[in-house]
Amino acid sequence: MAGSQDMFDAIVMADERFHGEGYQEGYEEGSTLGIIEGRQHGTLHGAKIGSEIGCYQGFAFAWRCLLHTCAAEKDSKKMKVLESLIGLIEKFPYDDPTYDKLHEDLDRIRGKFKQLCSLLNVQPDFKISVEGSGLSF
Amino acid sequence: MLSAGCGLGGRLQLPEGSAATSAGASVPRTSWASGRKGLNPTAAEGRRGVAGVCVGAPAVGAADSAWLLHTLRQAAMKDSLVLLGRVPAHPDSRCWFLAWNPAGTLLASCGGDRRVRIWGTEGDSWICKSVLSEGHQRTVRKVAWSPCGNYLASASFDATTCIWKKNQDDFECVTTLEGHENEVKSVAWAPSGNLLATCSRDKSVWVWEVDEEDEYECVSVLNSHTQDVKHVVWHPNQELLASASYDDTVKLYREEEDDWVCCATLEGHESTVWSLAFDPSGQRLASCSDDRTVRIWRQYPPGNEQGVACSGSDPSWKCICTLSGFHSRTIYDVAWCQLTGALATACGDDAIRVFEEDPSSDPQQPTFSLTAHLPQAHSQDVNCVAWNPKEPGLLASCSDDGEVAFWKYQRPEGL
Repeated sequence: MAGSQDMFDAIVMADERFHGEGYQEGYEEGSTLGIIEGRQHGTLHGAKIGSEIGCYQGFAFAWRCLLHTCAAEKDSKKMKVLESLIGLIEKFPYDDPTYDKLHEDLDRIRGKFKQLCSLLNVQPDFKISVEGSGLSF
Repeated sequence: MLSAGCGLGGRLQLPEGSAATSAGASVPRTSWASGRKGLNPTAAEGRRGVAGVCVGAPAVGAADSAWLLHTLRQAAMKDSLVLLGRVPAHPDSRCWFLAWNPAGTLLASCGGDRRVRIWGTEGDSWICKSVLSEGHQRTVRKVAWSPCGNYLASASFDATTCIWKKNQDDFECVTTLEGHENEVKSVAWAPSGNLLATCSRDKSVWVWEVDEEDEYECVSVLNSHTQDVKHVVWHPNQELLASASYDDTVKLYREEEDDWVCCATLEGHESTVWSLAFDPSGQRLASCSDDRTVRIWRQYPPGNEQGVACSGSDPSWKCICTLSGFHSRTIYDVAWCQLTGALATACGDDAIRVFEEDPSSDPQQPTFSLTAHLPQAHSQDVNCVAWNPKEPGLLASCSDDGEVAFWKYQRPEGL
């Protein structure tokens, strides 16, 4: 009699069992897909930030060369801010997305860049569009 | 019925024997016309310039002592804030902000009409001495005088800040500060006169340095807030900057090794913080918010007697008092009188209120009492209140109705 109890048990609980198994399978598949999607998202987002910082770095290097040639008294302040910006960019930990001060440091870099533009009297205009990023002054 | 009212067009009607008549309150009789459409004096009388609250006959009943106390309080406050005059400063638009010059002789107003106006007294009345137009393409949101009184800064929604130089009655725009990405919401001059701060909807606070040749240079761009920054104000005697934001916080900044850093974040308000004011000593900061409260914060330096913990060498700030239940709408501005210590507020319910600290209260947990409440001070939201820096009790206010009003405040007896 115990054997038939188990058999009926299996039939009666079949719905719930399949539900549970289905959920597990779906969860695992979803997790895998989620990781792939997250990775893509992270890659894009990281690239965007990298592109932005790279832009600031290129800008800073170019201006450093330009200012070297005409070193006047007034330019010392500009050079100081320039060097400060380059320093911040170089110090930034690009390979650690879990860095606790990530956003704070990024905001500092952006703030320094804005200050530099103000001192150089340059108005940057970022256009990151489908055709590629452009920078006009 | 006890009531005091002022009609439009310079006629002052006071009941016999009221405190205001006996005190000889002077009212300018000319200088402002009834530039408001659709208002007749009788309708206005009940609404405008009511100094205090109408009090009915007291109910007889010993049990109602709380109500009686309330009534007596209202009666005592009746003439604490008296209207001196009104001017239609920015007709058909809003008047956003007011600033007294350091000498207390001129009042600058700015508005939605893109202009800045300078007001001065001529005898008993206030007249417009200069109009600063051609400076901005959009609303001028705030104005600030330099500590020397020779310069005026104007912050505008057109993303620029103009610096005007005073030459007798003329003002000339000597520099335009650019850099913010969108609307500049506030501008403030440091007491030293060498630094200027601006803030904007772009979430940043900029600190500028001025040299002897009137050259302005950006010393720092601070991206600490996460939303629109509404107001900036400098500490009266330290090089400390405070900012208020739509992100519900107040942040403090100081200079550290050639750069400015955020050294404290004050959390507690439940909605946008609209304005800030330091007390005369600079030990306390008042903030007002869309959450209808005014909070008082106190600075505790490292090693303080009260045992408030500090991180490193930065002082800590703690909220020591919250004034809630007094305002029925957003509080747009708060002003701390540098002469008397009275705190005035500008509210979205069209009223002006004044608070004073109870003399016996504990400095670490002060209590403030309402000493003046003027409902219908203006016919629309009151945007700004400003105490005159030289004349105690002289208060100016402005509103969305485009008008500037002048008030005389006297601390009521027994409160």
